[in-house]
Amino acid sequence: MKIVLILALLFFTACEKKPKVDPKPPIQAHLGKKFTYYQSGQLRPSSSGIGRQGDHYIYAPNIRFPLESAPAYINSQVYGIGGLHGPKGSLCDQRNYQYPWSDNYCETRTWNMPLCPGGTGHQGVDIRSSTCEKRKYYAVAVEDGIISYIGKYTVTLRGVSGRKYRYLHLDSPTVQVSRGQRVRRGQRLGLVSDNMGKAKTSIHLHFDMKQTIKIDGISKQVYVPPYASLVVAYKRLLQGRP
Amino acid sequence: MRLLLLTIFLFSLLHAESGILDITWPKPNAKHQKPSTPYPTVLTNGIANTKLPVYLPTSYVYDKNMAIVSNSDFYTISFTLKGAMIMVAGDKTYQESISKNDPKFEALTQDSSNMEFMQEEGMMSVDFNRHGVNYSLLVECDKPKTDTRCTEEGFLKEIYKRLIMVGGQP
Repeated sequence: MKIVLILALLFFTACEKKPKVDPKPPIQAHLGKKFTYYQSGQLRPSSSGIGRQGDHYIYAPNIRFPLESAPAYINSQVYGIGGLHGPKGSLCDQRNYQYPWSDNYCETRTWNMPLCPGGTGHQGVDIRSSTCEKRKYYAVAVEDGIISYIGKYTVTLRGVSGRKYRYLHLDSPTVQVSRGQRVRRGQRLGLVSDNMGKAKTSIHLHFDMKQTIKIDGISKQVYVPPYASLVVAYKRLLQGRP
Repeated sequence: MRLLLLTIFLFSLLHAESGILDITWPKPNAKHQKPSTPYPTVLTNGIANTKLPVYLPTSYVYDKNMAIVSNSDFYTISFTLKGAMIMVAGDKTYQESISKNDPKFEALTQDSSNMEFMQEEGMMSVDFNRHGVNYSLLVECDKPKTDTRCTEEGFLKEIYKRLIMVGGQP
């Protein structure tokens, strides 16, 4: 009888559904800060959409990380804990404020996005600052340039490269730059908040990069993937050479 | 080492460097380029040295908060309406040059549309190309979730129809 029970146990153990192993585990960046991140285009959770996989090109080399200080966390606002489509809980849950990073460019949206697999998606990435506190952490210029536009909750920097960087949801009264002002890489722009005009959003910085791509005889403006550029920029920030 | 250098070389060919787009300047048309009332000085000064065709809508521009940011390669004009901000921008630079056979950009290379309306993060925008230059129109609202100017295309389409060339020089 014992033998039968042991065989049955072994059988069921063998048949037990093994948990899915992520084919691409987070990448460890050995910078003394335990910074880990999923590859660009690898959205988390997987139900949040299909990212632009396989494109690890750094569209904006040498940019500074858009938040002044580390740690910062790139992950989903909508599908994270407390998000509109995320697990129940607080947006300030500590699990939203930890590594690994995950890309959220192309995350499910209805917005036209030609570079996203389905033709629609999120135009940039959402970045959480060190803690879930608004009006505490500065967003900074990612490269030298000029402030070309300040809207209701948008600050646009046109870099000397010609690329346009948008910073959304900064606290308007703390914005330290004006339209037409020349800024230097790393210069403070304003404090991260939940500003969305008279509406509110979660406390985060939405950051995107728009550039013109020339295709033989024609050209198009397009929001390009910022994640790979930000990973490199963040490593530099952690190494003390932002 | 040779393989590495070859890879870098091939990659650099794939993503060529940035530059200036070729502009085909439109023939002057006084009827279309004359606003009903003179544009404010801030605008005429701002676009004086802009070396691309400058477009603006025929109305909405006479706002005391209007600002223009420009140099020879680009301009951005913004002004306020009640509960909203409008941005009109033109730029003749490019940051990447790719081949139309590049599979990574298939969706871009196969898209022949010259005008793209986009819902954005609480905003509505349209990108278009004229004379080889890339332009953008954008409206951003105080109430982005309920203001139809920021949730539907109609308002921006009306502004788009009213665009006229107001300056710029070859």
